[in-house]
This record gives sequence, structure tokens and C-alpha cells, in this order.
Amino acid sequence: MSMTKTYLPKKFHDAVVKWRETYLPDYDFLLEHWDKYFPKDQQFELCAFRELGMCNEIECGEMKGRPKFTRSADMEVKQSGHLLGALKAQASTEFGSIQQHQLTLARAQDEEEQFWILRMMAEEMRHGYQMFHLLLEDQWQQVSDQSGGEMVEEILSMQTGSHILGAFNIDFDSFIDNVTFCALIDRVGKYQLSMQKISAYKPMAESMPQMLREEAFHLAAGVVPLRRWMEKAANDSVYITTDDIQRTLNKWLPRGLEMFGDERGGGTNVRYGLKPLKNAEAQAQYYEEVGKVVHDLNLRYIRARFPRLSATEAESLLERILADGGSVDGISWDELVHMPHREFFRRRGVPAFELPAGMAKSSRMCRPICGTLPSTCPIPIALGGTFVTTSTWSTRYTPAR
Amino acid sequence: MNEPAPEIVVRNLEDTDIGGITALDEKLGGEYRPEVWERRIAYYLRRDPEALVVAEAAGKVVGFMLGEVRSGEFGLEEPTGWIEVLGVDPEVRGQAIGRRMAAQMLEHFRGRGATSVRTLVDETMGDIAEFFGHLGFEPAPLRSFVMTL
Repeated sequence: MSMTKTYLPKKFHDAVVKWRETYLPDYDFLLEHWDKYFPKDQQFELCAFRELGMCNEIECGEMKGRPKFTRSADMEVKQSGHLLGALKAQASTEFGSIQQHQLTLARAQDEEEQFWILRMMAEEMRHGYQMFHLLLEDQWQQVSDQSGGEMVEEILSMQTGSHILGAFNIDFDSFIDNVTFCALIDRVGKYQLSMQKISAYKPMAESMPQMLREEAFHLAAGVVPLRRWMEKAANDSVYITTDDIQRTLNKWLPRGLEMFGDERGGGTNVRYGLKPLKNAEAQAQYYEEVGKVVHDLNLRYIRARFPRLSATEAESLLERILADGGSVDGISWDELVHMPHREFFRRRGVPAFELPAGMAKSSRMCRPICGTLPSTCPIPIALGGTFVTTSTWSTRYTPAR
Repeated sequence: MNEPAPEIVVRNLEDTDIGGITALDEKLGGEYRPEVWERRIAYYLRRDPEALVVAEAAGKVVGFMLGEVRSGEFGLEEPTGWIEVLGVDPEVRGQAIGRRMAAQMLEHFRGRGATSVRTLVDETMGDIAEFFGHLGFEPAPLRSFVMTL
């Protein structure tokens, strides 16, 4: 592993620092206490890394085998346009997530979990910085009227509500959002970064390895607290219940699925060598992976409720509860957490235009269709927010009377 | 007719393997220690995720190996790979899973600039010492000392 390290031109570097002072005010606190929570870990630095020694040939699509592009001007116009769209969206998500996390960071109940999120926020800022590095290093005239500098300025001026992707335009309501967001939305990030690692645009591919290394911990910063909270919930904690966790799964999973783009699309990116998987393929893998997380969370809950059960017995009990849909040996289906259906509360993509027939199985999920708000309904929906006015679901959704 | 044994895939560890590793550790040691593995895997994932390896068969973790490259340990200034934890499901032993996991980890250590790799083995675990011996490890002059406080 060999990398180059670079910095943005001073005025842009300073602009990111200024942005940080507004949206990541605990940054200095993080660095001051870095050694307490991350002893021996190299301290964070705001810079851009590029991996050396990566593949020089385009790895998929119609141009497979040809040399990768080092300048967008050498790419086909549409290809370059797709690349620029992905670059700007990636940058927007990085800065957007920090704005979201900052809202509820102070509400963490555990200092270690709070520091994990704080470190993750700093690293997301570095990821945004990395995308700025790509925007500023190249010329984009053939696909944009904006200069790289203007694009940077536009992205730094975005707020929750004006970001490019929907998941980054939703306010957090509690620290459970911080953690679930890491477990679910950062997981989409992992997929996108993994796919972009083979990008036909070499600077993009070279930017991905270090971002992926950092992203691995971001996922753990979500999954580990969730696992611990399942144990607390099983022990009747007043601070966290499985209903709370279910609510955030319901809130973020649909947005995560939408981040892959329309299920029918993605073929153009594959043809252009920008990503190896179409949207539906990557989304299906993601959904399965989140299912594994949910399965593990339930096992953690059952083992905490019944410490004398063996691993095999806990697996067996979980299977029986899921099959029964009611109560088995003192644990009810409603106590556990469940995967929202792929079509649940979708605002974009194919399911936004279809009747979600597969949802009736889940009592937690079917209530909106029946006209009763479930206790685990995502907050924006419960408040009658943007979802109700923008989704085709709204035509079928009748609020409880 | 016997069903063919599931293919064993060696790959990098992910956050979703915490449950599988906890279960395998319980199978090997008889103790359920989820909090230990949550903390330990979070540590390794933030340090060097590409060094971490698991073996998976039919969606189940059947082996894992954790380690990282460090400098400055015990006066060893050069970058050194450290293999720190490993486990293989007894039901699939004898299929060179440990060797395959080690090969992936050592390849990563080389890529990180390590010119040597070290580990510590409990003298009572003869099979582990034998495993490392087969890989090419030799006893090192660096001895381990301990004192109860």
C-alpha cells in the first residue's frame, strides 16, 4: 500500500476549514482527546490521498482493456457527465452527513460511542475534501458551465434539505439516528466506493482505497452500538427499546435503497466502465447484507434475554419466532427488529410507482397501508412531512382518524 | 449420497462478521463474549481493515485471523506484521483454511512494507505452534515475560 498525500489550493483548503468550524465544532476536541479513544492510531489529517499501483486498464464495460482516463476531457462527453454527476453527489453526501450527525451528536449516552461518531464525521469531511481534490485537479468544461471552484463553493453552501441525495436531506431526531445511519447509509457508501474503485477515471479509482479503509470503521461505529443497545433493550433499559431501533431502520433503509438509483438503471455506468454493477444488482446485495445485520441484532437480543441458551438454541428460537409471527418461549415477534420490505416507504425507484403488495406480512409495516400510523413509523411520515406530498404512496395513505 | 462440502471462501473481515466470530469463539472456548469481539473488531477495523481475514462456508464464519502492521513494538522499529488472534472451526480443520488465511494476511503485510511477521503462542497450544511452524515461522530470540500485579 503506497499513497500520495496532497492538499487543496490554500483558498479551498481554508474554505473547508471554515466550513468545519461551523458544522464540526467539536473537531479540536476530537484531536485533543484522540489518544484516549484511539491510542496508537495515526491522528486525523485533512488531506487527499491517492493510492499508487492500481490497475491502469479499464476493468468493465465497452472500453474494457483500454487505458484508464486521467483527464475527463479525454472521456466521451456522456461518460464524463456521468462521472461528474457521481463526483458531485459523493461530495455532497460527505458534507451533508456531517450536518446531520452534528444535530444529535451531543445526545449520545456513551462517550466512546460519541467519539466514534465524531471521528467518523472528521473522516467524512476528509472524503468530501478528497472529492474536491478531484473536482479541482481536472477541467470539466465539456460537461459543465461551472468551474471546479464554483462546484466546491456550491457544495459547501448546501444545507440539510438542499443536498443532492434524499438520505442527506432528513434531520436526525436522536443519537439512534447517528448510529443507524452509520450502519445503513454508510453501508451504501461502502458499496458505492467499492464500485468506484474500478472506475475508468483513474483519479477516482485511486481515491477509493483509503476512503474504503476509513469506511470500514464507520460501519462498525454503527453496528457495534446497535448490538450493545439490543442487549440493553433485552434488559429493559429505559433509554433504548427495539421499537426505537425499528423506527430508525424504517426511516433509513428505504433511503439507503434509493441511493443506488432506479432499479432499472445503472447500465450506462457499467458500459462506461465507471462501476461494475447495475443499480438493482448492487441494491440486492446491500439488502441482503442489511438482513444479516438485522439477524445478528436479533440473536444478540435473544442471547441477552436468555443467557443460558446456546448459540444453536438461540438460532432455533429466532427461527421459530420469525416463522410463528407471535410469541414463542416468552419472546414476541414484535419485540425483535425486522427488515422493512424493499418497497416500504419508497419515494424513488420502481416501488414508488407500484402497489407494495408484499408488505402485509409485517404488522409493523402494513399499518400505514391500513390507515393507522404504527409506533415505529419514521418521523417524517408521522409528521406528514415531505414524504406524504412527494410519494405516490400518499395517494393510498390515509392518516389515522 | 453425501452432499458436497460447501466451498470455503477466504475474504476480508467485515463488520457483519462480528456475530459469526463471536459464535466461533464460543464454540472454541466455551464462553459467549460478544462485548469482547465487538470492541476488538471495532479496534482492528479502524486500524487496518485489509489485514483482517475470515473464512466463510455456506454463509457461516468458519475461521478468522486478526493482525496488523506496527512499528516500534519492543524496540522493533521496522514495520512488522503481527498475527494476534486466529481461530478455525474444528469441523473444517485439515482443509488448509489457516494456511489460506495466513497467505492473504501475509500478502497484505508485504504490501504495507513489513519485512517480517511475528506472533506469540502459548506453550500449551502445541497445534498452534505446529501450524506456524508449517507456515515457516521459527522460534525468535525475543522471549515473553510476565508478572502478576
